[in-house]
Amino acid sequence: MSETDIRKELRDAPVEPLLPIEKKLIGWSLGIGLVLLVGLALLNHFVPATF
Amino acid sequence: MSDTWLNNIAPPRADGVTAPINEDWLAVVLGLAIFVLALAALVNVDLIGWVVTTSVWINLGQALKATSTSFASLGGVGALIATYVALLVVLSAGAAALKSNVTKFALAFTAVFWIAYASWVIGNYANFAAVTPAEQQKFGINWSLKLTGEGGYIFALIAGLIIANFFPRFAEAIKEAVRPELYIKIAIVILGGFIAVTAAGKLSLASSLLLRGVAAIVEAYLIYWAVVYFVARKWFGFSREWAAPLASGISICGVSAAIAVGGAIRARPIVPVLVSSLVVIFAVVEVLILPFLAQAFLSHEPLVAGAWIGLAVKTDGAAVAAGGITESLILAKNAAEGVNYQPGWILGTATTIKVFIDIFIGIWAFVLGYIWTNHINVVPGQAKASVGEIWQRFPKFIIGFLITFAVGLYLALGTPADIAKKVPAAIGEANTFRVIFFILTFFSIGVLSNFKTLWQEGFGKLAAVYLVTLFGFVVWVGLLISWLFFSGINPPLAS
Repeated sequence: MSETDIRKELRDAPVEPLLPIEKKLIGWSLGIGLVLLVGLALLNHFVPATF
Repeated sequence: MSDTWLNNIAPPRADGVTAPINEDWLAVVLGLAIFVLALAALVNVDLIGWVVTTSVWINLGQALKATSTSFASLGGVGALIATYVALLVVLSAGAAALKSNVTKFALAFTAVFWIAYASWVIGNYANFAAVTPAEQQKFGINWSLKLTGEGGYIFALIAGLIIANFFPRFAEAIKEAVRPELYIKIAIVILGGFIAVTAAGKLSLASSLLLRGVAAIVEAYLIYWAVVYFVARKWFGFSREWAAPLASGISICGVSAAIAVGGAIRARPIVPVLVSSLVVIFAVVEVLILPFLAQAFLSHEPLVAGAWIGLAVKTDGAAVAAGGITESLILAKNAAEGVNYQPGWILGTATTIKVFIDIFIGIWAFVLGYIWTNHINVVPGQAKASVGEIWQRFPKFIIGFLITFAVGLYLALGTPADIAKKVPAAIGEANTFRVIFFILTFFSIGVLSNFKTLWQEGFGKLAAVYLVTLFGFVVWVGLLISWLFFSGINPPLAS
């Protein structure tokens, strides 16, 4: 594929709406991520680094 | 943008010849070979002490010397030539194993090595590198940019940038040896042993840092990726084929992640290659800015700085190398204030974060591949994502890193005292090679960074997503998480 084709494709590509599966992927990733980060932060708080 | 330029990211074989080994495994083989040769010093056989090392200098004649005093007779220039010849032979053999054109590689490597190392030597000039008043007095100078010796990496990067942007035909001529991913992977394999020796001195602290590194994995894969993907799709209107590799490149680990995810979702090869080119360009911008920001604002939280660099700078090469610069800048600033931290901890933290993130690239690519081939882009007759792809996409050089780390830790902690005491010096010799591979990495990244790309019509939108998400989200959330998990933890003081 030529450089011009790619530029044209990037400029003129039709919008693909977010599918439910993509929304699920984003939502679950963020949800699990935030829960894990809070859990790790608590662990970090209660099990401080040893020197 | 020419096809040749794109090929710089992953030189293809036009004739369809399959190499018996890939770059990852080659890095493991070469990194382990250097590590094993260095360990011969434990039985009093110095096999690589001739490798050249550079000191801060005011008189060029004193800049270079062999790492080991056993090879002092070589002199600085002799050690430099020996290092060049050894690397030329070994890497040319590697190029042959990769089925590259060995003659072209050897010629190109000659240019890459000498320009990169010359930049490094210039970066070690006292007026650029001397940090403390005592050093300035020692060299008889009254001003210095205080970049430290590792500022030489920046000089190598700038040399590469000049070539890429002002001498594109020369950049094209040497592209066979412009392989930042290979060089940094070899360096990371060697680095495993160095980090082990550093960690062995303070094992409980090292364990605490490893535990905190888990937060980086969660952040990169679950928080960064989701947000960047959403922004690319919803705000910038990118298709799924473009958004997934783009989100992976910006949030996880640059080039490797973009290529792994691009393959997993069955994107056209051009997509991850273009994303990778942007990753490299933005990594250069980060390397030129973030270490100095870290020195200015995080010098009293050295490990926050290390973790931040590991999280914020994309691509292994740029992140680990930026960790090296950050370490030298922060150690120098603290030393000027009378606090002397042990070297290795900031670089070790940045590297550990990066390696932790890398480990899961294969798994994440599989997850996305499974969703894409089963739910989003179901093509009759097209192979579905299989579990085997996890191993296929696993960055194998991490195995080399883990081996040198485990062996280094065992040698430092599990051997009799008379052997254990020789370990730091032995691994130090291997570490000199690591520094040289860092220099080659910086120079190569520069040569791959043609900034004209950013202004080319059509690609601006890709760059805009990168700019908005990297500097509007990734960098600052990375700082917040690094602060949450690493603040208040300082490296041990140097004895």
